[in-house]
Amino acid sequence: MSENIERRRFLKGVGAASLIWGPMGCTSVEEDSSNTNKPHYVMVFDQNKCTGCGECKLACNTANNLPEGKSKCLMEHQSGGVEGKACPHCGKDKCNCERKFVRVSCQQCKNAPCVSVCPTGAAHRDPKTGIVTMDKSKCAGCKYCIGACPYNARFINEDTNVADNCDFCLSSKLSKGELPACVQLCKYDALVFGDINDPNSYVNKLLAVKDSVRMKPQFGTEPSLRYIPVVKLGV
Amino acid sequence: MEFTMGLSKGIAWPWPIAVYLFLAGISGGALVVALALRFIKCQTTNTPLYKAAALISFVTISLGMLCLVLDLTNPMFFWRILVFYNFTSIMSLGVIALCAYIPLTAVLCLYAFEDDIKAIKGLSILLPLISMLKPIRRPLELLTLILAMSVCAYTGFLISTLIRFPLINTAVLPALFIASGVSAGAAASKMVSVLVFKEDLHSSELKLLHGAEWPIMITEILFIVMIAMSLATGNEGAQSAFSAFTSGVWANLFWVGVVGVGFLGPILLNFATGKTFSHSAKAFYLSGVCVISGMMCLRLFILYAGQTYGI
Repeated sequence: MSENIERRRFLKGVGAASLIWGPMGCTSVEEDSSNTNKPHYVMVFDQNKCTGCGECKLACNTANNLPEGKSKCLMEHQSGGVEGKACPHCGKDKCNCERKFVRVSCQQCKNAPCVSVCPTGAAHRDPKTGIVTMDKSKCAGCKYCIGACPYNARFINEDTNVADNCDFCLSSKLSKGELPACVQLCKYDALVFGDINDPNSYVNKLLAVKDSVRMKPQFGTEPSLRYIPVVKLGV
Repeated sequence: MEFTMGLSKGIAWPWPIAVYLFLAGISGGALVVALALRFIKCQTTNTPLYKAAALISFVTISLGMLCLVLDLTNPMFFWRILVFYNFTSIMSLGVIALCAYIPLTAVLCLYAFEDDIKAIKGLSILLPLISMLKPIRRPLELLTLILAMSVCAYTGFLISTLIRFPLINTAVLPALFIASGVSAGAAASKMVSVLVFKEDLHSSELKLLHGAEWPIMITEILFIVMIAMSLATGNEGAQSAFSAFTSGVWANLFWVGVVGVGFLGPILLNFATGKTFSHSAKAFYLSGVCVISGMMCLRLFILYAGQTYGI
């Protein structure tokens, strides 16, 4: 008898609860659709096209008003011997080894150590573009980001006395709808810049067909810079 | 495909940061020892060791802050660290801990030197403050003990996030820094308590500390061996960082400063000499100085050798 009452009360409770919770579960909540279309800006460096002319460095210097001789990107010369010394590539004194260059600059990590270690939030991700950039007015100059960067791609800007990094010319060019200065100035199309989340962008199509690599992927930083390496052809 | 160049030359954090790590370690370690003794032995008076530890912790952490601020690219920017916070940053969390810890070390000094402050007329303005803080002495001391431990560990966590450097980027570092902070803090407190506050060289408190010295040193050695082993048997980057122990100027600093002065010095002074010498004041001070210099060498070694051997 008492068991029946218990059961009846339980069933009543279930009914009432379903009446209350049912409609609540069915209410239409607006899905946050803005997230899916967020841009992810990437830069592709094609080693096959780069001649090491260094125009990118000069363009960077003027576009970002940097101290003389300073730029946010460097070119590392990797093969082709120094005069009078054995070629680091083949070991011979005289050779026809191709000269290789590698762009050295902020890798614009998706999982950026500089952003997570910065005590003041000066190194931050621009909310609109997702680009890692600096808020100069917040940086205390502690250099934590410089030590934390696995690529040693950050530096102290001697003019402002605060840390700095390549942010794809976010304020000087991108905000005006222009491409980064180095990309604009590169005569050999060795640099390609664009939004990889846009299916119609050139970088999206390029990376769909070209093999590219990322620097030091073992750090789990997920860099946005992609490198198309020189691949030895033939025998 | 890789590059070896970088946008920054040299190491990001030079010697003032090592000095800061050293001073913060002594400050935290001294208080950990003094407060732990106070709680375990249920002391109610201001013992010479307590006075020494309170004074040392306040002075060293203040000097440490000075080092930290002077190492900023522009020291006038230091207020930004106090105004803006980022809770994923170990440094920011450390700032919060230090903002509570530094005033507490000052409060502990007020407690410790109450009688001395009463004796000096010029400091009488502090007396109402002391009587106001007196009822909460116990909880504040407990909080200080926790924070002192945290500050020691924080100095380790702070640099262990630098993922590029295998010697620094280890899980053991905070534990090593707690152990070495406690041993150097204890040594500093012992020396100041005898030298300034006239503690008896063979008092029961100091005896207890002498006894605790060796297990702490063994723990330190164990942690260092753990780091060295994990590098020697690790991947390519770890193996190249292992050469910090075997070659170069930093290896010399390690073997002479950390092992020779810091570990062998006190061991030889206490066990390899005659009983009359090892129980003398000379041996007491010399061994204390050895422990503290060893700790300074350890911080310098970790910071410089660590940042030298990057991946």
